[in-house]
Amino acid sequence: MTTHLVDEARAGEVTLRGVSRVYGKNYAVRDLDLHVEAGEFISLLGPSGCGKTTTLRMIGGFEYPDTGSISIAAKPVEALPPYKRPVNTVFQAYALFPHLSVAQNVAYGLRYQKTPKNEVRERVSEALQMVRMGSFAERMPAQLSGGQQQRIALARALVNRPAVLLLDEPMSALDRKLREEMQIELKLLQQQLGTTFVFVTHDQEEAMTMSDRIAVMNQGRLEQIGPPDAVYDAPTSAYVAGFIGQQNFFTGELSGGPGAWSVTIPGGTVVSTREPAGSPVVGGVTEVAVRPEHVTVSATPTGGPNEVRSTLMSVSQLGSALQIVTITPEGLKIMARSPRGIDLPMTPGVDVYCSWPSDAVHIFPTTTATESE
Amino acid sequence: MTAVATAPPRARRRFTGSVGLLALPIAAWLVFFFIVPFGLILWYSFGEKPSLYVTHSNDVLSLARYVEALDPAFLTTFWRTTQIAIVGTALCLLIGFPIAYWMAVKLSPRARGIVLALVLVPYWTNFLVRTIGWQITLSPEGFLSDFLNGIGVLNGPLQVLYTQQAVQLGVVYNYLPLMILPLYVALERMDHRLLEASRDLGGNWWSSFWRVTIPLALPGIMSGLLLVFVPLMGDYITPSVLGGASGSMVGQMVAGQFQRAQNWALGSAMAICLMLAILLVVILFGVLFKLIGVALARFRHLGDLDRAGAIS
Repeated sequence: MTTHLVDEARAGEVTLRGVSRVYGKNYAVRDLDLHVEAGEFISLLGPSGCGKTTTLRMIGGFEYPDTGSISIAAKPVEALPPYKRPVNTVFQAYALFPHLSVAQNVAYGLRYQKTPKNEVRERVSEALQMVRMGSFAERMPAQLSGGQQQRIALARALVNRPAVLLLDEPMSALDRKLREEMQIELKLLQQQLGTTFVFVTHDQEEAMTMSDRIAVMNQGRLEQIGPPDAVYDAPTSAYVAGFIGQQNFFTGELSGGPGAWSVTIPGGTVVSTREPAGSPVVGGVTEVAVRPEHVTVSATPTGGPNEVRSTLMSVSQLGSALQIVTITPEGLKIMARSPRGIDLPMTPGVDVYCSWPSDAVHIFPTTTATESE
Repeated sequence: MTAVATAPPRARRRFTGSVGLLALPIAAWLVFFFIVPFGLILWYSFGEKPSLYVTHSNDVLSLARYVEALDPAFLTTFWRTTQIAIVGTALCLLIGFPIAYWMAVKLSPRARGIVLALVLVPYWTNFLVRTIGWQITLSPEGFLSDFLNGIGVLNGPLQVLYTQQAVQLGVVYNYLPLMILPLYVALERMDHRLLEASRDLGGNWWSSFWRVTIPLALPGIMSGLLLVFVPLMGDYITPSVLGGASGSMVGQMVAGQFQRAQNWALGSAMAICLMLAILLVVILFGVLFKLIGVALARFRHLGDLDRAGAIS
């Protein structure tokens, strides 16, 4: 909270080393290493119960790690209470003080920084204008809509000029349209302020839209961390591949070698020029993932490497594209995403050919992959 | 907005009518069990006790009973009653708040039910029985006296029974649940994440307590104070059992006039004085709380921020 005199460049750095948090016998967070650069917008992404909120609460000081260390601005903080950490939080349900006006809510933290009265007024006004709520200063929280409350919660946190802002699924209560607007606004705000943002979400689109880097978590562990495109294009596990975006998964036996791998699936073979993730065992069972947007559907065979004859099941409009679902004679469902206006008979039941380039095929060791959506 | 404005006025009138009808039982209850008895007491208080065997008469109306009521003995007892009531209410708040806070914030929801029952069961027990329980406990020959003598804290019998202190103890015990319940309800309803938010914004426990918990519990504190103070002022069972001569309260004097002296006129005048005093204190409470509210707003350091309109 208090403005710490630290090396400016490292003020917004957050480092977690070997952090674990145990509830009873279950690890909420297990052996987590995470380094957040100053000024970075990082998302902790995962399904509920993956430990992302617990991680955030440990950075904020509302929970203490059982093992491991947490440092903010290169200073250890794991033993400090929340009010002694240079971070502020935007809570999931905003947690605005119902007995205080909007201005008083925003000014709440400044009192502890012993800010002079005139400056308090200025900074509150500035913060409210920043979130475009300048004319709402005198309202009470109960008189605001969900989106407005969220802006106030943001202003209340940012007015303290924290080194790191923690956001706990702040968009989950907003409707889609508003959420998309807020995502862009929040990202612009972060770039303008240069504050480190640690953002918790279960919504992969939200994470993709805003983040500099995404940390995908699963069962208390960090699965993969990287920029959105890297996580999307080069997932290191079937879990990440399935959680971010959509995938067609097939299971089969691995054969071949570097540069020309192939997996035998019911009714055919999938070939890949990409190196399999993990340590591939020739002859072992692996999982193959292909994104729907890489699948081309055509009425006649094209003679490409990965081509499967299948039956059209359904075609649905996504607005900008078409989502096509087909099924092979062996019962494998294949989902494809095609631009509108492709030359294809749209009646369910007709035979079509699905194909995809061999550099779009990812091979993973078998795990229980969780598909999103 | 327009939907409300154009709603058929007929339907609305009929609705209001039926609501009025629903209020009839409570209105009748109030008339027969509050307004009529109160009117009678007020009426009797202007009368007199004409002879030994007649309780009251309103043939001659005067304020003489009030003059009679406000004699030094009554005022002494009255002052003692007010003292016991104010100290008792304050003690109930001081003891009740931590208990209510512990129940609402610290306990698991399952344990809350059990503790709530532990608070309520003594309250459901007959008022007289629990007070007599204290009489037994506090008596000079009682087990507490023996125990304190045994461990050497006391030398000689316990001299607490039939004093003002015994009454003070008795009323705190008797009225504590009435303080705990509204406080518990107010604290339980409070969103506990608000305390996290306060800590996040720089407040330690103590500061968050004053800036968040107390303001949000204020309605509960108010109802608790009233629920304890008002019946406590009129209590006469507790001082009858525990007070003796040095710990008597106004309620006993009123009861004495009605039951023993058979002077309903004087008893009524005393009762009216008591009610006026309670009303006065309740009004003072109200003013005090307004002032506390203003002080808290100051404490929030930004009381004038909104009014100044500097932010736009």
